[in-house]
Amino acid sequence: MSAQLQENRDSVTLYGRRWSRENADLSRTFDILVVIIMFIAITAAFHLHFQLTVGDWDFWVDWKDRQYWVTATPILLIAFPAALQYVFWEKFRLPIAATVCMLGLTLGIWITRYSGFHTWSYFPFSMVWPATMIAGGLILDAVLLLTGSALITAIIGGMSFGLLFYPANWPLLAPFRLPMEAMNSLVSVGDYIGYAYTRTSTPEYLRFIERGTLRTFGGHSAVVSAFFSGFVCILVYLLWWYIGMAFARVATLPNRMKSFMGLHDRGAEGKDA
Amino acid sequence: MSSVIQSSGEVRSATAARPRSMVNLKPAIFTMIGITVLMAGYRIYQQIYAWSAGLDSTDPAFETYWMGLLKGELVILVMSWVGLWSWLWVTRDRNLQALKPREEMRRYFNLVLYIMVYAFCVYFTGSFFAEMDASWHQTVVRDTAFTPSHVILFYGTIPLYILFGVGGFLYAMTRLPRFADRISIPYALAVAGPFLILPNLGYNEWGHAFWMMEEFFSAPLHWGFVVLGWSVLALGGLLLQIARHVFEIMGRLEQEAAA
Repeated sequence: MSAQLQENRDSVTLYGRRWSRENADLSRTFDILVVIIMFIAITAAFHLHFQLTVGDWDFWVDWKDRQYWVTATPILLIAFPAALQYVFWEKFRLPIAATVCMLGLTLGIWITRYSGFHTWSYFPFSMVWPATMIAGGLILDAVLLLTGSALITAIIGGMSFGLLFYPANWPLLAPFRLPMEAMNSLVSVGDYIGYAYTRTSTPEYLRFIERGTLRTFGGHSAVVSAFFSGFVCILVYLLWWYIGMAFARVATLPNRMKSFMGLHDRGAEGKDA
Repeated sequence: MSSVIQSSGEVRSATAARPRSMVNLKPAIFTMIGITVLMAGYRIYQQIYAWSAGLDSTDPAFETYWMGLLKGELVILVMSWVGLWSWLWVTRDRNLQALKPREEMRRYFNLVLYIMVYAFCVYFTGSFFAEMDASWHQTVVRDTAFTPSHVILFYGTIPLYILFGVGGFLYAMTRLPRFADRISIPYALAVAGPFLILPNLGYNEWGHAFWMMEEFFSAPLHWGFVVLGWSVLALGGLLLQIARHVFEIMGRLEQEAAA
């Protein structure tokens, strides 16, 4: 009995393995630090990727159209969740990567949308509100958790990711799609806000206005865009799953500056990663 | 942070009754607090002087408030590069073969904390001040490369993360045997990619000078930043590599304790 108590005092079971108390403490501290680093790094890198690829459609309410916004945003958004799902799922069996990505991105966007566009450049929030992407992250993680397969997650999760983006944002967007008359022209409320608040370095001629035969589909143009987006999301998911695999690979090269650094060769001991 | 929750629910100092702490969080926490204060200061400075003195680069007030800040931060940051990197080099461990597991573990945690500070700095560049840049340049005409947004984003925050990125890389190479023996590719990627954003500014400013003055954020002109930003993902590979090493040292610590 006392021997068992002694063993419990000196060791602890963690991840199904016996650890000394000291190592268990170190392991927990290491885990916490890694979680903090990954959340900050994901937020920074994903936000940079997002704003410089599809940011313009997210910055302004009048850019949120049925063609490019609905098509391009999920395609570019699925990249980081796919790469990190590889790392989180294959290395740690954690089905949370996509949701963590979307939470980090949402947090980063809201902080700067408030601090920059609203507080510094003085645009009303009705003009610069960000889209929501968390539903897509949840569905990607749910499909991966239920199937455990990257291929099925790409096909079902990727398509769902593309399809969900527009309906998830519709409650936010609908009021800005109402028609109104301004200067004898029929425009949407979102368009009118865009005209009223001048953006001298982003003039109207820069805006990608939806056009083309999509209009022949009448009220279904956003649905068509969402399906096309979902199709490309499947391909982009698979591509980025493998990019995640490449980034998670531990590879090393011999340090040819060792003698310059005043160090001796450790021989065969140093050949592993 | 210096305490961890035990399986029994009690809270105990992780470093209690040890000859020397293997995890010293204080320097990293104080550095991150300092960085937060600096970033808040930058943001307040922008709020006060961007509209009042940052709209016309020929205005004498622009020279005073924005070019003055630019020159000041460049001098301080380049001096801090030279100072930290030289100190890490000069004080390098030349006898890594004799490193004890406890000291090696302590250095690994120092390295992880370096990476945490690095990631924290990258956040202010990649997320916070980058989108601030959009909010300024999509609304205000620029007449110089050194705008109130760029003076802080490009020449304030980028050199700061380079300081800690390269600093951590040097720390690993000069104090940890495995990193001294072999160059870590994920670590090199995670530092070199964001570092290259600084020279990529030349392409950005060239494009805005001769190609398109307007700020269309999704334009191909900006995709260099995107691709270089992807390299931050290599931190995943680096942390996996460090986890392997730490796990191996834990085994040696247990052997040492048993002996």
